[in-house]
Amino acid sequence: MKHINLKQTLTLLLLFIPLLGFAHDVTSADQELLRNGGLLAYIRVGATHMLTGYDHLLFLAGVIFYLKSFTDILKFITIFTIGHCITLIGATYAGITANEHLVDAVIALSVLYKGFENLSGFETLKIKSPNLLLMVGLFGLIHGFGLSTRLQSFDMGQGQILAKILCFNLGVEVGQVLALIPIVFIITLSRKHKQFPAFYKAVNWYLVIAGIGLFAYQLYGYFYGH
Amino acid sequence: MKLNTREITKKFKDHYFKPICLLLAIILFSSHDLYIKVGYYFLMPNQQSTLSLYNGTFENSENIITRDRMLDASLIAHGQRIAIQADQWKDQDSTITQLSFLTGSAGTYVAGVSTKARNIELTADDFNSYLEHDGVLDMLEQRTNNNLLDQDAVESYQKHVKAIFQVGVTKTDDWSTILGYPIEFIPLANPYEKFSGDQLEVELLLDGEPLPNQLVYADYVKNPYAHSHNDLAQNDNGQQHTHNSESEGGHSHTSGQQLRTNDEGIVSINLPEDGIYYLRTIYMVSVTDSDTLTHQSKWATLTFEVTHTHDASAQTNNTSTHTHDDHDHEDGIPTWIFILGSFLIIGVLFLFFRKND
Repeated sequence: MKHINLKQTLTLLLLFIPLLGFAHDVTSADQELLRNGGLLAYIRVGATHMLTGYDHLLFLAGVIFYLKSFTDILKFITIFTIGHCITLIGATYAGITANEHLVDAVIALSVLYKGFENLSGFETLKIKSPNLLLMVGLFGLIHGFGLSTRLQSFDMGQGQILAKILCFNLGVEVGQVLALIPIVFIITLSRKHKQFPAFYKAVNWYLVIAGIGLFAYQLYGYFYGH
Repeated sequence: MKLNTREITKKFKDHYFKPICLLLAIILFSSHDLYIKVGYYFLMPNQQSTLSLYNGTFENSENIITRDRMLDASLIAHGQRIAIQADQWKDQDSTITQLSFLTGSAGTYVAGVSTKARNIELTADDFNSYLEHDGVLDMLEQRTNNNLLDQDAVESYQKHVKAIFQVGVTKTDDWSTILGYPIEFIPLANPYEKFSGDQLEVELLLDGEPLPNQLVYADYVKNPYAHSHNDLAQNDNGQQHTHNSESEGGHSHTSGQQLRTNDEGIVSINLPEDGIYYLRTIYMVSVTDSDTLTHQSKWATLTFEVTHTHDASAQTNNTSTHTHDDHDHEDGIPTWIFILGSFLIIGVLFLFFRKND
C-alpha cells in the first residue's frame, strides 16, 4: 500500500510539474494582454507569473517541506505574503527598480538558503540558525521586489497605476494559492511514506543545487546577457 | 493714477497675442504624419497583436483614418499578401484606428496602408509655416527663390505607410516586398538582421522608380515599452494637434537624422541604439496643369524595431545599449530542460539517499 502511495506521489508530481513549465515566460504576449485587457489582465498576468515562476515556487516548496502543521503553513505563508506585498506594491508605486538578473540572483539564493536550512545545514556547521519566520518575511520582501521589477518592465500606461499594481498583486496571491494546493498536497502525501526521509533529502538537496544553478545562471545573464 | 492703456495693449500684444497666434498657427497647420505601429515588434507565432494607425506624430495619434480613405491595407508574410478588410479595423477613442490580428508562423512580416489623396487649402503664410515645420525644405526653397512665398496653396496629399515586424525567430524575405504604393520605403536588408550600432540602407521608390535627392527624416524611440508613450497619454491630449518642434523635447516632425537619398534613391540610416525607428518623407511638386491644385505631395513612413542582439552572431555589437525590454524575458532556461533536469536530479538523489538510508 505504501508502495502505491509513493507511486501516487510521483504521479501527482508529474502532473503538476508542467505548472513550472513556463518558468518566468513573461512575454510579449503578456505585454499585449496588459495593453488590451484592462485590470483583469493584470490579475491574470500576476497569477501566471507566480504559477510559472519556478524560483518562487521552489522557495515556497522549501518552506512547506519544513512545516508539519496547517497552522504553521498558514503562519509562514502569511508572513511571506505580507513581505512580498510590501515590496511589490511599494517599489512599483515608487518606481524603485533594479537589474532583474541581480534581483533574481538573490531570489535564487533564497532557494539555496531554504534547502540548506531544511537539511540542517546550520546545525552541521554549528551555527545558530536565524529565526525562520523572520527569514521567510525577509525573503518575502525580496521576492516581492523581484515581482515588482518584472511588473515595472511592462508598459503600464499612465492611468490607474495603483489599481493595476493591486490587481497584479491580487493575481500573484491567486497564483500562489493555486500553486500551494498541489505543493502542500504532494508533500503531505509523501510524509506518510516510509521513504519520505530519502524524498525529503532529495528534494532539499535539489533546492540547494537549483539555487546554486539559478544563481550562477542569473549572474551569467547579468555579466554576459543582452 | 493714470492708466496707460496704449502701453498695456502693446505689452499684451507683444507678450501674449503674438505668441498665441504663432502657437495657433503651428497647431492648426502642422501636418498629421501617418505611421503604422505594432503593439509589439517582436511577436510569437500565433500571438494576438494590434496594428495601430497613428495619425499625428509617431508618439501621439489625434485622428482616426476613415475606411473610405484606405486604398489598400495589407499584411504580408511568407510571400502572401492578405488584404485587411475595412470592417476589421476598429477605432479607439476617436483617435487611433486599430486592427487586432493573430500572427501565423514565424517570419518577418510587413503591414502596409495606402490612403486616397485629399486636398487642403492654405494661406501663403500657413503653407510656408507647414513646409518649414514638416521639413519640406526643397519646396520652401523653391518658393523662396521664385518669390512665391506670398502665394496661397491648394495641396493634394496622400499617405503610404508601412511597418516591418518580426514573428518568432525565423527570418523571411517579406521585408523586401514592394507593395506598389505611389511612394514607399524598401529596406535593402532585413531590419531584424541589423542591430544597434549598425546601418540600414533603405531605398525610396516613387511610382516604382528610385527617387534621388529626396529629404528623408529618421528618428527612434528608445526603450519603447518601459514608459509612457501610451494610449492614455495620447488621449489626454484630446483632439487638438499640440505638436510642434519646441513643445515635445525634440520629437518634432523633423527630429533625428536628416538625410537625402543618393542617385540610386538610397539613404543609409544610422541605428545607434535599441528602439523603434521611424522614417518619414514628403515628396512635393508644384502643379501647373490644374485649375484647382497648386501642389501635390506623396508621404511615406516606415517603422521597425532594432535591438542589440538576437543571436550569437551579433554579440560583437555594442552592449552598452542594454535595455530590459520584454523580449528579454522570453529568453531563459528552456522549460523542457528545466523540468527534465529537475526530475533527473531529484530522481538520482532519491535513489542515492534511499540506498544509503
